[in-house]
Amino acid sequence: MNIIETENLGKAVPTSDGLLSILSSVTLTIGKGESIAIIGASGSGKSTLLGLLAGLDTPTEGFVKLNGQDLTTMDEDGRAELRNQLVGFVFQSFQLLPGLTALENVMLPLELRGDKQAKESATELLARVGLSHRLTHTPLKLSGGEQQRVALARAFVTEPTILFADEPTGNLDSKTGEHIINLLFELNQEKQTTLILVTHDSVLANRCQRTIKLEAGQVV
Amino acid sequence: MSQFRLAMRLLMRDGRSGELTILVLALIIAVTSSTAISLFADRMHRTMSTQAADFLAADLVITSSTLIPKAWLDKATSLQLTQARTAEFSTVLIENDELLLAGIKAVSNQYPLRGLLKTTQADFSQETVQEKGPRSGESWVEKRVLSALKLKLGDNLIVGEKTLKVTQIITYEPDKRGDLYSLSPRVMINDADLKATQVIKPGSHVHYFFQFNGVEQALSEFSQWIKPQLNPSQRIMDINDDRPELGSALVRAERYLGLSSIVVIIIAGVAIAMSTRRYSERHFNATAILRCLGCKQNDILQLYLYQFLMLGVVSSGIGTLFGWFAQEVLFHLLNDLLPSKVASPSLIASILGFLTGLVILIGFALPPILRLKKVSPLRVLRRELEPLSTSIWLVYGLTLSLVAMLIWRYTQDLKMTATIIGGGMATIAVSGLLIYGVLVQSRRILPRMNLSWRFGLQGLLKNPKASVSQILAFSITLLAMILSFTVRTDLLDDWQKQFPHNAPNHFVLNIFPDQVPSFSQQLQQNNITDVQLYPVVRGRLVEINDVPVKQVVSKDSQGERAIHRDLSLTWMDTLSKDNKTISGAWDSVKKGQVSIEARLAESLKIVLGDKLTFTIGSQQIEATVSHTRTVQWDTMKPNFYMVFSQDTLADFATTYITSFYLPDDKKNVLNQLVKNYSSITILEVDALLKQFKLILTQLTAAVNYLLYFALMAGFTVLFAAVYSTLDNRIFEGALMRTLGANRALLRKSHLIEFSLLGLISGFIAVLISEVIKYMLYSYVLHLTYHINWQLWLTVPLISIFCVALAGYWGVRRVVNQSPMQVLRDV
Repeated sequence: MNIIETENLGKAVPTSDGLLSILSSVTLTIGKGESIAIIGASGSGKSTLLGLLAGLDTPTEGFVKLNGQDLTTMDEDGRAELRNQLVGFVFQSFQLLPGLTALENVMLPLELRGDKQAKESATELLARVGLSHRLTHTPLKLSGGEQQRVALARAFVTEPTILFADEPTGNLDSKTGEHIINLLFELNQEKQTTLILVTHDSVLANRCQRTIKLEAGQVV
Repeated sequence: MSQFRLAMRLLMRDGRSGELTILVLALIIAVTSSTAISLFADRMHRTMSTQAADFLAADLVITSSTLIPKAWLDKATSLQLTQARTAEFSTVLIENDELLLAGIKAVSNQYPLRGLLKTTQADFSQETVQEKGPRSGESWVEKRVLSALKLKLGDNLIVGEKTLKVTQIITYEPDKRGDLYSLSPRVMINDADLKATQVIKPGSHVHYFFQFNGVEQALSEFSQWIKPQLNPSQRIMDINDDRPELGSALVRAERYLGLSSIVVIIIAGVAIAMSTRRYSERHFNATAILRCLGCKQNDILQLYLYQFLMLGVVSSGIGTLFGWFAQEVLFHLLNDLLPSKVASPSLIASILGFLTGLVILIGFALPPILRLKKVSPLRVLRRELEPLSTSIWLVYGLTLSLVAMLIWRYTQDLKMTATIIGGGMATIAVSGLLIYGVLVQSRRILPRMNLSWRFGLQGLLKNPKASVSQILAFSITLLAMILSFTVRTDLLDDWQKQFPHNAPNHFVLNIFPDQVPSFSQQLQQNNITDVQLYPVVRGRLVEINDVPVKQVVSKDSQGERAIHRDLSLTWMDTLSKDNKTISGAWDSVKKGQVSIEARLAESLKIVLGDKLTFTIGSQQIEATVSHTRTVQWDTMKPNFYMVFSQDTLADFATTYITSFYLPDDKKNVLNQLVKNYSSITILEVDALLKQFKLILTQLTAAVNYLLYFALMAGFTVLFAAVYSTLDNRIFEGALMRTLGANRALLRKSHLIEFSLLGLISGFIAVLISEVIKYMLYSYVLHLTYHINWQLWLTVPLISIFCVALAGYWGVRRVVNQSPMQVLRDV
């Protein structure tokens, strides 16, 4: 079964010189449990594609289906709901809420779902990423690697069907980055998640089952 | 519920990080001042309305300047109404060489029919409730009578010709009116002693109150029977349509205080809006993450509304508590203007102050919060994505309607509310443009300045809109303070200057015709010469050419005020030198002629040849207008609206009035006069001026007290503005230091920036205050306007000092943080 399906997906933005196409004619299908790397140079449209696939943005042409549901027919709140149910994210800049502790950050997506076991699940997953001793620390007091481990725990705690990762090692040194990637793939294996990974690191891309290469907004 | 818990958690973190401090401070200041005013106004009104029940001291009262016909009293008796009578008049008391103009009230044995008198023999905590007034031979007085005349309980007090023993101190009198006239300290005596005082004679200025109690039907029948028989100087009052009103000084105090508190609210509102804007901008990223994790737009709104609501509840709670203390200070400042006992603070008024806080917060903070709702989840990938700004109509519409609502609450007058809002907006727009112009123009000199000056000025020019708001906030506060301080001083100075040296400083009223020769003689013996005594008959203008005068006058005109009271009518052979003929010719011999003051004639649309009808006591007379003239009112000599030809008023009871100059070292002449002529009333102009000064001083002290809150609010605006640029300043500061700028340079440029801010604020404030003063003095107060050069120097200096100090302190982190740390964090 296809978990993600796009057809003729495109995005154009208005500029002073008329419409500028930043992504066009992307047609792809991704099966459940697959791991896909989206690679390409800066400005090739990787992040735009990720945003469209995850329902963070709307395409100007074509459609995206997530778990069989067409995102283009949903409003922003409908997509938010779907994100909460299906999707997890890991970002280059971690994107933790600065006001919350590590534990609270991980509990957050569960709490948004109304999960009563939020604290237990979050504690368990933080232990899994090796941060049992950091539960009550706020992001400011954590190192970059630790912050990204909290972000991983937050992404996996809801057991998402699909995980989107945008340059997850981009802000980390190579040793810490490697550690994070190992963790990411281990968790992916354990939870049987579909992984969509945006990167320009070919070594990292090679660890995925399939690679989609973008150039000037088109799949090559 | 988890939404609420999350909101509280985020709020706690933001609170601890100091993110919300300015917002909370501004809100507390606004709530403190609005609660103080709300409590103050409520206590005043409740004091008045608890007194309403017994304000008349009876169910029905007839007021009259003469005794009423016996037939009326007989009718009341036949209807089984119980009756009481009081007579009120002013007279001068002398004891221990001290003089005091007192309000005497002679009460019959049945007084009061409703309500109770309260007295004490010691302090206010040990009150005794009295069902009746003083017995014959006794007098009860207000405490200040004792101190003014150096008396104590048990001493004798001479009222007119009668010696009375002071037995009680009055602490509460049910039917005491709140007008300025009743500010004279009270002396209460028994009706039976009234005659023996020999103060009241035909023509004396006295108010009688005939009070009646009984069953409703009988009262109604009595009222119906009396009404057609009343003459224009008599009035019937009952508890249904006659409620007490606050004295005019207090009404004005309440209004000024209310409006000052709105100044506080608006300025604090600007700080709230500014800090919420920064808060919302700093929460764009977190909001994007929440949206990314599946929060819907309404969840986001709810999340922030919970936080602000909680913030509002806590801050308003603290503000309400502070407001409670603040109104106690207000009562203390207005001590002499208030009744000796006021209602205690009420919970409802406190709740109102509390709710005002929530309304202020929502009104000023909602637009930036609404913006958070629109944050796109895509911002997690593209930081540059900013949500659309909230509609400008919503922002200003919300604020304006909030301000209008608050102003209306204090003025209760749509026209005035519109005028204040219109005038306020025009002032803000004009000064805003002016400031903007100054800032933009200063860009030209920028290239010619040295580095620290350039950085300093650039600090202001970088975000001209924020700079304009800060300058406006300070200018408005300073402006209000300048006006409040200077208008009072100018008013009093000008008043005193207007009295020429040796101008009469004493008025004597109620001299009876048979006393005139000896009275004049006694003045001459004391070297008081050139004194003219004028006859006075009290009467009311009722018809012009047989048309009731009430149909002719327009509301609030000079004419309206003149026809609602008895006028002093006089006659004389030759008019005073300062009276200038406007039309007609004065013939003092031809009977039935009247000369009228020109401005009153204009207001009442009276022209030469008109027939005027006056009511004097129970009789009517007519006179033809043959002359109009201007009158110089400020000569401190008796002046008259109506001067009749001789013999026209000859048949009526007459008293005489005069004024003269008496130097301070000859004040003892007054004692002799009062001893020889017990009926006379002496008005000491300097004492009245002192009284006036006291009222004005207390009023302005109370208003200034609130303006200090405005000043504090002004500082919250400064800090809000400083903090909104702080991240940027820290980054720039770090960059400059990396490039080799030393800390002294940064400090100097900060000092320059904030000094300029203070300078422009102070300058604009003085400029606008001069314009307002010019208009106020020329068109309203009729004072001579002078530019006050001292203000041009002192206000900007004070403003520079305060603003520079506060601003410098606000940005101290910029020079204290390690550049390495700052740049690494970015």
